[in-house]
Amino acid sequence: MPSGALLFQSVILGLLLGGLYALLAAGLTLYFGIMRVVMIAHSAFLILAAYLAWWSHSRLGVDPLLSMIVTVPLFFGFGVLLQRMLLARLRPVTLTMMSVLLTFAIALTIEGLLGYVFTGTQRRIQLGYGSASFGLFGARIAVVKLIAFGLAAVALLTLYLLMKKTTFGWALRATIQHRDAARLVGIETERIAGYGFGIGLATAAVGGTALALDTTIYPSLHWHWIGPLMAIIVVGGLGSVPGAAMAAMVLGLTQSLLQIPLGTTWAQTIFYLALFATLAFRPQGFFGGRLAQRF
Amino acid sequence: MPSASERTMAAAATPGATPAARVSAPRPVGRIVQVALVLVLAAGVLSFPALAPNPYILSAGIVVLNYAVLSTSWNFVGGFTGYISLGHGALAGLGAYGTALLVTRAGLPSFVALVVAALLVAALAVPIGFAALRVRGASFVIVSIALVLILLLVFQSWSSLTGGSRGLVVPRPFPGLLRPEHHRVFYFLFAALLGLALLAWWLIDRSRFGLGLKAIREDEDKAEALGTPTFAYKLVVFVVSAGFTGLAGGLYALWFGDLDPVFQFSILTGSYMVLMALLGGVRNLFGPLVGALVVGIALEYFKVEFGDTQLHLVATGVLLALVVLFMPDGVLPAVGGLLNRLFRPAQSSIREVTAGELRDQRAAEAQEREPVDAGTTAGSGEVRP
Repeated sequence: MPSGALLFQSVILGLLLGGLYALLAAGLTLYFGIMRVVMIAHSAFLILAAYLAWWSHSRLGVDPLLSMIVTVPLFFGFGVLLQRMLLARLRPVTLTMMSVLLTFAIALTIEGLLGYVFTGTQRRIQLGYGSASFGLFGARIAVVKLIAFGLAAVALLTLYLLMKKTTFGWALRATIQHRDAARLVGIETERIAGYGFGIGLATAAVGGTALALDTTIYPSLHWHWIGPLMAIIVVGGLGSVPGAAMAAMVLGLTQSLLQIPLGTTWAQTIFYLALFATLAFRPQGFFGGRLAQRF
Repeated sequence: MPSASERTMAAAATPGATPAARVSAPRPVGRIVQVALVLVLAAGVLSFPALAPNPYILSAGIVVLNYAVLSTSWNFVGGFTGYISLGHGALAGLGAYGTALLVTRAGLPSFVALVVAALLVAALAVPIGFAALRVRGASFVIVSIALVLILLLVFQSWSSLTGGSRGLVVPRPFPGLLRPEHHRVFYFLFAALLGLALLAWWLIDRSRFGLGLKAIREDEDKAEALGTPTFAYKLVVFVVSAGFTGLAGGLYALWFGDLDPVFQFSILTGSYMVLMALLGGVRNLFGPLVGALVVGIALEYFKVEFGDTQLHLVATGVLLALVVLFMPDGVLPAVGGLLNRLFRPAQSSIREVTAGELRDQRAAEAQEREPVDAGTTAGSGEVRP
């Protein structure tokens, strides 16, 4: 039986990790809501943002957090272009399947380019405050993990306010709920959909920066993220942001706790077990998600 | 342009032999050309070992043939039902490891192990398909990717059984053979497997079962409403596909003799299969084979030219994106359409028939029908295009 402090530490770490998962899953859910697209390249963009943060730190000497000033708007632009120039061109009938392939192709391209430009060497940001940590009821918590969680929480809160309180968010939710009806009341759904993708990809920029703070990164790392993230959005009910956030916290916590008896590698399988169990017994997901009924 | 599948659909939709005969009769030349092309292709494949200048080229040929078998196996699901699986690489990996473990641990003869492993993979495909196919579209892709990732985790971590990252050595089935002879034998084994997979695809394509699968591809709701047991059909074809993929993986294990989880459970293998099938054309029997020839040779070239760089990922990604965006039906239909436009400009999708021709046609039909149903008025039947 592990000690209480160890358990407590795992719970804290699980919650911190869950926050990051929640932010990234929110982005994936957004794409799915807007266009029924499973965006495989989401985590590849995540790693790209992490690499840009690492690069700006090691080559330019800036704090990785400052790299977000560039990467967030840049990724927003990427997202808009991706939706308008590529995904909108696909045939509506086969959109679900072909968009997966297209985003998969983008993920491969990003991975290949990262490997070509930065080589396959594992990279890690060495920060002045990188090893700082503080104690809380016997648990040691690294400051960078807390910063990462803070970033994710702020980004999620911003996303929430944007969706609920602004005219744009209102239009975006209308587009997600019923595209034709939204168009009838005068919403330019094409443009809104593009912006929605931009926001989704901007979450990847924030998440990538947070990830770079305390993780060793390498080009093929994104496969380790896309699996858990896809499991999270399925468990949460495809298309439901609160569902995805809940699933992210629960699964993040479970993974962290399972690491004590099983070790890091086997603990990861919880995501896939949850995915298979959800699809076999409750395909619409556990936390609502009206859209999931049809998919 | 009426594709092969549309023609068979039209034929099966109207019972009786006459419509089928009428549809296929006007193109005897096309049929001869088709058969000739198949013979040329078969001759080309079979004569390759004799023409290959060195064992390396021959082994490259085996790799390409392996890709052809894999992507043809993939096409059972992807081509018929339209469900895209990115995880077939994992099924091949399971076939490979299954064969290897049955040979090394259970002491089975190599080719018995191969068949048993393929059957096991097919059996495993039942629960996987059950989880993946109950819901539409997106979930299937997610499960297929998850399958690769979870199996990579398991096979890397469970090193007491699989050898982990150190790899697993598979004993050769023909220990007496020299390297070039070994390649030659396996080249023909792969060619035989390819022939078997193509034959199975062709048979399903012409069957009622295949018709149901294609109905799922075109409109699953309508197919279900018309009484097609969509879930059962999807599951059966997924299991068949998994079985062939497992065979291909197992044969690869026996040929190559050394397995590593990173390569066996690679998401890339699955994406190559998709790329090859899409590039060639998923609705064509030989589409995946053509795609495998193009992509397989390109991959070998990249390996020689650029070595260990990650450029092959970029090339694969860009090619896949281009195919998805601009040629989702593949090369074969595109080329076919081009040929049709060049050599048969008169033929269009709207068939023009003069009143005189129509009268003659109806008279001929009436005469045909006379002995069967003499009482009915022959002229009143609607004109089918």
